[in-house]
Amino acid sequence: MIGATMSSTAPLEVLEPDTGLDEGLERPWVVLVWDDPINLMSYVTLVLQKLFGYSKDKAHHLMLKVHTEGKAVVSSGTRSEAERDVFRLHEHGLWATMEQD
Amino acid sequence: MGLLDRFGAGAFRRRSDGTFDVLLSEDERRVIGELTGQLRELLATDSPALARLFPPPYGDDEERNQGYAALAGAELFEGRLQRLEAVAEQLDAATLDEAQLSDWMRSINDVRLVLGTLLDIDDDHRPPPADSDAAAMYAAYEYFGYLLERIVRALSG
Repeated sequence: MIGATMSSTAPLEVLEPDTGLDEGLERPWVVLVWDDPINLMSYVTLVLQKLFGYSKDKAHHLMLKVHTEGKAVVSSGTRSEAERDVFRLHEHGLWATMEQD
Repeated sequence: MGLLDRFGAGAFRRRSDGTFDVLLSEDERRVIGELTGQLRELLATDSPALARLFPPPYGDDEERNQGYAALAGAELFEGRLQRLEAVAEQLDAATLDEAQLSDWMRSINDVRLVLGTLLDIDDDHRPPPADSDAAAMYAAYEYFGYLLERIVRALSG
């Protein structure tokens, strides 16, 4: 939902069964957005603002990092938190992946 | 013939009540309806052109990618379909609220992602020759980029 704000505690029903055990002991996961030649820079900036509650400046900076360096970390957390963020980015057509830090 | 001569130069304008004027010609609404309709049909297939809409999140970890696809794939698919259907229902709308315009934005971006995939768009792409089969698709790709830019601007303003 584009109108969503930074909702790090909002449950995403479909992913809940995957929250797994021992999350508190896990190394954190990071969510990456990758550069692609199709998505518009203005669109990526708006999506990062809306999904994570980032300021326009911060979202713009992250977008430029994606564009110039090929990827950028946009959020981090437990595996289930990262998976939920990846899901929300995929809902908006961004090329997002996650990996353990 | 320029792109905007071909499809029009539609716009979206925020109103004082928080909704948005949809300033689109009939031709523009028809093109939006056709292409979002085609994407709805394509979603019912396993076309490789859809790959960009459903990226694997875990790199080359196939087991985890399949787990994610099993849990999230249907919801991603249903969400896309619902948003495309919403656009079809609102195709003649004079105004849209913010949530509706967001649905339009994401649907138009989805169409663009698929067109860009079919056109093999890369960082150095050039327009295909005007007499080629890809020329009409490229014009639609460019037009949807224009529309998306206008919607992003309206929502950001």
